[in-house]
Amino acid sequence: MADLINCPVCGTENPSDQEYCRSCQAALAATEEGDASSIQPGQSPTKRQTAELEPILPQWLRDARDAARSTEPEDSNQAMPPQSEKTRPIASEDLLAGLQSQSGQDEDEDVPDWLANITGAQPKPKVEQQPETTGARWVEMGARDDFPSEDAAEEADMPDWLAGLQATQAQPEKDELTDIYNLTRSVNESLPTQPPAQEVPPEAAPHDFASSETPEWLRQMALDADERSATAEAGEQSAELPLDAPDWLSGLGGPGSESTFGESSAEVSEPAPAESEALDLPPSDMPDWLRGSAESEKPAQDTTPKWLREESGGASEPETPAWLASEDTVYLPSEPQQETPEQDALLVDLPDWLKAAAPNSSIFEQPAEQPTSLQETPEPSFDSPDWIKSLGATEASEDVPAADEEKSSPFENAPAFTPDLEGDENLSSLFTEMPDWLSNAIEPTETPSSSASSAPTPITSDDALAPSDLPSWVQAMRPVETGIVQPSLSSDRTLESRGALAGLQGVLPAVPGFAPTSKPKAISIKLNTNEEQLKHAGILEQILAAETSPVPMESYAALRTSRGLRWVLGFLMVVMIAVVLGLRMENFSTPLLAPNETRAAMSLVDALPPNAALLVAVDYEASRAGEMEVAVAPMFDQLMLVKQPRLTFVSTNEVGSMLAERIITGPLAEHNVSYVNLGYLSGGQMGIRAFVKDPVAAAPLSTSLQPAWESTTLTGISQFDQFSAVILITDNAEAARSWIEQTEDVRGSMPFIVISSAQATPMIMPYYDSGQVTGVVSGLYGGAIFEQYIGQPGSARTYWDAYSIGMLFALILVLGGGFWNLVLGWRERAAARGAE
Amino acid sequence: MSAIDMLDLFSGGLSFLFTVLILSYLIGDNPLFRIAVYVFVGAASGYVAAVVFWQVLYPLLVLPTLSAIQSASLAQGLYVLMPWLGLILILMKVSSRLSGLARIAMAFLVGAGAAVTLVGALTGTLIPQFNATIDIFGGAVGKGGFELVELLFSGGVVLLGVISTLAYFHFGAHPKADGSMRRLAPVEILAWVGRIFIGITLGVVFAGVYATALTALIERISSLINFIASLFGMF
Repeated sequence: MADLINCPVCGTENPSDQEYCRSCQAALAATEEGDASSIQPGQSPTKRQTAELEPILPQWLRDARDAARSTEPEDSNQAMPPQSEKTRPIASEDLLAGLQSQSGQDEDEDVPDWLANITGAQPKPKVEQQPETTGARWVEMGARDDFPSEDAAEEADMPDWLAGLQATQAQPEKDELTDIYNLTRSVNESLPTQPPAQEVPPEAAPHDFASSETPEWLRQMALDADERSATAEAGEQSAELPLDAPDWLSGLGGPGSESTFGESSAEVSEPAPAESEALDLPPSDMPDWLRGSAESEKPAQDTTPKWLREESGGASEPETPAWLASEDTVYLPSEPQQETPEQDALLVDLPDWLKAAAPNSSIFEQPAEQPTSLQETPEPSFDSPDWIKSLGATEASEDVPAADEEKSSPFENAPAFTPDLEGDENLSSLFTEMPDWLSNAIEPTETPSSSASSAPTPITSDDALAPSDLPSWVQAMRPVETGIVQPSLSSDRTLESRGALAGLQGVLPAVPGFAPTSKPKAISIKLNTNEEQLKHAGILEQILAAETSPVPMESYAALRTSRGLRWVLGFLMVVMIAVVLGLRMENFSTPLLAPNETRAAMSLVDALPPNAALLVAVDYEASRAGEMEVAVAPMFDQLMLVKQPRLTFVSTNEVGSMLAERIITGPLAEHNVSYVNLGYLSGGQMGIRAFVKDPVAAAPLSTSLQPAWESTTLTGISQFDQFSAVILITDNAEAARSWIEQTEDVRGSMPFIVISSAQATPMIMPYYDSGQVTGVVSGLYGGAIFEQYIGQPGSARTYWDAYSIGMLFALILVLGGGFWNLVLGWRERAAARGAE
Repeated sequence: MSAIDMLDLFSGGLSFLFTVLILSYLIGDNPLFRIAVYVFVGAASGYVAAVVFWQVLYPLLVLPTLSAIQSASLAQGLYVLMPWLGLILILMKVSSRLSGLARIAMAFLVGAGAAVTLVGALTGTLIPQFNATIDIFGGAVGKGGFELVELLFSGGVVLLGVISTLAYFHFGAHPKADGSMRRLAPVEILAWVGRIFIGITLGVVFAGVYATALTALIERISSLINFIASLFGMF
C-alpha cells in the first residue's frame, strides 16, 4: 500500500511517487493530501460581514441563549429520549431552512450531497436502496464500506487522534465543499484578512498541529478522561458502555468516557446542550477559544436536552444515541416526519448541518430499529468511520498519553458552540471561527511545501467564481466541523462554462460510475395523439389545402353563333334583297301616314321663304351615305323645286365636306344649286360654338379656298342667326345634341330640321318633343314619306320593297327565334320534372 | 368611251370590289376584309390630314399669319400669336423633357371644352327637357274631351317613364336582416317599371340600327346591281 496508490477516479494502482494517474491523468497527490484550499479543522474562516444574518438567526440558537439565561440547572441525568424519536428535526429554522423546504417540495430532484450535509436534507430513498457501485457515491453518501481502511501500523508512531485524522485525510478524495473552503482559506491566508470577532488563542493556531505539539486543551481532555474512566470502572453503566458505544468512544475510557461522550455528543450535535456540557467540563477540557465563553456561562443554567440528560445520567438507558453510533456522518433520515412524532425541542432546533456533522446511523440505515441493535450488539454492528475506529483502537490497545487521547476525539471535548455571552459578536465568531483542534487537525495538509510539491497546480480561471467571495457564514457552515476531511473523489477541476454552474470549478466531478453504462434511452419522437386529435389534424390539413388549392372558375359556354346559320341567314338576306332590287319589285306600298316630326319638316319646307339662306350641317359617316342620301334627296328635291334656297354646307366631320359635295353631285345633280361648302369645323362643340358666335372667323374660306362670306350665296350673311333655317344631316345623336345645345341660345325661333339616320332618331325625338327641333326626317322611312309627299318616286321607293322584305325577314327571325327559345325552355322544364 | 365614262367605270369597279371585300366578312374575318379595311383607314387618314391642313391650318393659321406679316398689323400679329403659341406648346409633347409645357395648351383646350360642353348641356338639354316634361300637363289646360285625355295620358306616360327610369338608376340600398342589400320597396317598384321603359327604348334603338344597316345593305346591293347592269348595258 505504501508503494501503490489507487487512483480515485479510475481505480488504477499507481506508484506513490507519481503525481498523476497513468491511466486517467487524474491528480494523485491531491487525493493523498487533500485539497489545500479546503477548510481545515481549527482553521478560522475569514470573517465576513454577517450583520445581515442577525435577523435570521436560527431559532434554536435564540432559544439556547434564552434558555441559558432563564432555565434553572437541571439534572444532567435526565432521561434521554428514545433513539427512535431522534430523527430529522421538523423544519428547523436554520439558515438554509429554505433549501430544505425546497428540496422537500421537489422530490424528483436530487439533493446535492454537500447541500444535504448542510441542510440536513436526505437523499432520496431509492438512492439509499441502490447498492453503491462507485467510490464517489459511497463517499458522498457516506457508505461505511467506502472509507478506506487504515493501517494502524503505519500510524503507530503518531498520536491516535492524529492518526485517525490522517487516516481520514488520506482518503483518496475530498468533498467539493471542503475543497472550495480550503481554496478559500488559502486565498484568505494570502490576503490580509479581517481579524476574527473572537480572537483565536495562539494554541489553536494551525501551526501548532504542524509542530506536532498536542494542544493544551486536548491534553486536558485526555487527563480528565483518564480520571473519569478510573472512577467509573465499577459502575454498571460503565460496563455496558463499551458494548454500545463506538470503539473510538470506548477508547476514550469507560465511564469517564461515557460522560465525556455524552457531553461531547451533545456538544457536537446540539448547541444548547453543548452549553451546559461545556459548563460541566473543566476549563482545561475546553479549547481555549471556547473556554472563556464557557466559564462565563457556566453558572447560568442547564439546558441539556432530555435525551442527553438520560444519557449522562446513565441510570436506565445507557444507549448511545443513534446518530452517534452511526457511521454515517453525512445524511439525515429520509422520512423522519412521519416516523418521529415527538422530538426534543432543542434537537429540533439543531441546524441540519450540525446534525449532518454528527454521526447518525439511524438516519442513514435503519432509523427506527437502530437503538435496539445498538443495545444488543456488544460491538458496534455498524462500521464507524475509520477515523473513529482508529481512535477507538488506539485508545484500547495502546497506552497513549492523555493528551493524545483527547486529541483523538476532538468532537467530544470541543463544544460546537460556546455560550452566547457576547451577543452578536459571539454569533459571528460562531460561524466564522473554528476550534483550534479542528484547525490543527487539518493544518498539516496545508503546509505550503506539501501542497506545492505534491499537489498539482489547480486549474484556475478568471471566470471561475472566486471561493474567497463566499460569505463567512457559509464557510463556517460547511461540513468541515465534522472533523473529518471528506475525501473527495473529484480531482477534476474542470471549469463549468455553461448552465447554472457556470464559473464554478470542479463542481461536477468526473467520477467513474457516473458515465452512462448503457445506451441512452431511445426517446420516441412520435406524437402521442389519439384518434380524435388525428381526425382534427386531418380536418385542419384539408382546410389549409383548400385555402391554397386553386378554385376553378365557373365557365359558361359562350353563346357562339352557328357559322352555318349565319351563312344561311346572310345568304338569304342578300339573295332576297338582290332579287327584289334586281327584279325592280314594287309590291309594298309606301307609308301613307306621316309621323308628326316628318309632317313638321314638310310644313317647314313649305314655310321657308324662297331663296332662303339655309345652313346645312353634314355630320354623318360615309358608311351611312346610302341611307342619308335616300332621306335627304326627297326633301332637297322639294326645296330645290319650290324654294331655290342658298345652301351653305358645313361639317364637324372631316368627311362631311366631301359628303356634301356628293349630295350636290348626286341626288341634287339635276338641280342648279347655289351653295357654299365651308368645309370642316375643327374643335367639335367648341368649333360649333365658335361658328355660332362668329361664322366668318370660324370658317373664313370655303373648300375651294375662296372667301366664303364674300360669295353670292352668303350675301348679307355674317351672323349665325341670319340663316333662315338650319338643316342638320346626321347619323349620330351626339352630333345632333351638340348642334342643338350650342345653337340653342342663338337661333331663337330659327327652324331646325334634323335629317337623321334611323338609328339616331330615337335619341333625337326628345328634342322634337321639347320644341328644340322643328322637324325630323328619319332615314329611308322619312325619305319614302317625303317622296310620297312630293309625288316623285325616287330611291326610297326603289329600296322600299327590299327594305320591307328585310324588315319582315328580321321580324320572322326574331319571332321564330323567340318561339324556338320558348320551346326549348318548355322541353328543359319538362325534362326536369320528368327527372324529379 | 369618254374619259368620264372610264372614270365612272373605274370608280364603279373599285366600289364593287371593295363592297365585295367588305361583304366577305359574312364568312368571317378574312384577308380580303382586312385589305379593304386597311385601304379605307389609310385613305381616310390621308384625306383627314389633307382636310385638316387645307380646311383648318391654312385658312386659320397660315393665311392670318401671312396677312399679319403683310399688313404689319400689331393686332393681327397678336391675334395670330396665340394659335402659334398653342401650336408650339403642343408640339412640345414630342420631347420628354419639354412635354410639361404642352400642359398649358392642353389645359386651355380641356378647360374651354368642358365649359362649352357643360353650358351647352345645361342650356340645351337639361333645362329644356325638364321644362318639356312639365309643359305636357300645362298644354292640357283649357282643353277637354279626347284631346285632354290624350295629353294627360301622354304626359303621364312621359312622367312615369322619366321617374321610373331615374329610379332604376338609383342604387342606394340598405342592408336587410339576412345581409342582403335591397332598395326601398317604392324605389324597387319604380325601378321595375323603369326597366320596362329602358327595354322599350333599347328595342327602338336596335330597330333603328337594324333599319340603318338594312338600308345600307340595300344601297350597296343596289349599287352592285346597277354597276353590273351598267356593265352589261355598256357591253
